[in-house]
Amino acid sequence: MKIVLATALLLLATTALAQEDLGPGQAQGPAVKFASAAVATVVQGKPTTVPLSFRVASGYHINSNVPKSEFLIPTALKVEANTDIVIGKITYPEGQDMSFPFDPDEKLNVYTGDFKVDVLVRPMHTAQTGKYIIRGTLKYQACDNAACYPPKQLPISFDVKIVKAPPAARKNPAQSPNAHQ
Amino acid sequence: MKRNPLVLFFIAAIVAAMLFAGIRMSRNARANGPAKGQLVGELAPDFELPSLDGKNLKLSDLRGKAVLLNFWATYCGPCKVEMPWFVELQKEYGPQGFQIVGVANDDASTEEIAKFAKDMGINYPILIGKDAVSDAYKVSVLPTSFFVDRDGKLIYREFGLQSRSVFVDHIKKAMATATATKQGQAVPGS
Repeated sequence: MKIVLATALLLLATTALAQEDLGPGQAQGPAVKFASAAVATVVQGKPTTVPLSFRVASGYHINSNVPKSEFLIPTALKVEANTDIVIGKITYPEGQDMSFPFDPDEKLNVYTGDFKVDVLVRPMHTAQTGKYIIRGTLKYQACDNAACYPPKQLPISFDVKIVKAPPAARKNPAQSPNAHQ
Repeated sequence: MKRNPLVLFFIAAIVAAMLFAGIRMSRNARANGPAKGQLVGELAPDFELPSLDGKNLKLSDLRGKAVLLNFWATYCGPCKVEMPWFVELQKEYGPQGFQIVGVANDDASTEEIAKFAKDMGINYPILIGKDAVSDAYKVSVLPTSFFVDRDGKLIYREFGLQSRSVFVDHIKKAMATATATKQGQAVPGS
C-alpha cells in the first residue's frame, strides 16, 4: 500500500513539475483570467455597480485602459446590450506606471496582478424579475519581459438578479383640522 | 508471485521520468512551434506581401542575399527596442548582401504602420503581414526573427527580444554561405 501511495505521489509530483512555467515567451495559457462575479442583486429601475475581477498571470502585463502611446492597445471591456438591462458606464482602474527590462527608460501604464472593472447596470422599471446573464468580452494585449502576444478577446459573463422595487412608503393623508368635526 | 516493492518503485520512477520528459517536450513543441525541429534547416516558406510603398515583395526574389525576417507589431515594446539596431545593421551589412525585411503582424492600419516606421527611421522594407504567412512561420509571439542564408535556407529562429550581439552573430553566419546568385539586386519597397 505504501508503495502504491509513493508511486502515485511520484507521478503527481512529476506531472506538476513538468507543467511549471517555461519562462518568458513560452507560456501557452491565457495571460488574463476572469474571476466570475457573485450574482449581483439589483432593483428594478435602480442603477447598481457590478465589480468584475480579473487576474493578469504572473510575469505578464497588459496595457491599462489609457495607455501612454497611440500605438498601444488599451484594455477594454465590451458588454453586450440587453433589452431589459441598460449597461451604463464602465469604469477602469488607473494603471501603474512601470518600466520593463526591454526598455528601462520608457514607462508604460499597465495592469498587473488583480484588477477590477466596474460595470454600471440599470434594469428597466418594466424588467421582469429573475436572473439574467450578461455577456461581454475583455480585449487585452499582453506582454512579458521580452515578448508580446497578439491581442486577445476574453469572454466574460456575470449574473444579475432583478428584484422588485420595495413598495413606496405611503404617506399618511393630510389631516384636516376639521376631519372629526 | 511476490513482487519486490523496490522494483515496483524503480519502474514507477522510470515511468515518472518518461512522463516528465514527454510533457516537457510536448509543451516545448507547442511553445516554440516546430521551427527548431522542422523549419530551421529547411527552405524558408516563400511568400509575397505588399510593402508600405504599395509594391509587392517576394521572399524568393531575395535569394542570394542573407535575410533577416522580422515579425513585429506597432503595439510591441520589445520590437521597438530592436528596430534602431536593425537600422544600423542594415546600413552596416547591406552592402555585403544582407537584407532586413520587417513583417508587420498588426491590426493597425497601413497608415499607422507607415507612421510608426517613419518615426522609427526604418530603412528596410516593411511588409503588411497576413495570417497565412505568420502561420507558415509558426509565429505566436512578437518579435520573432528568422535568419535566412543566401540559399534561402532558414538557419536560425529567435523569439522575443534578443541582444544586438545575437543578431550580429546570426547575420554573419547567414552571410557566410557561398552562393550569391542575386547579390546586389534592388529590393522592392526599400
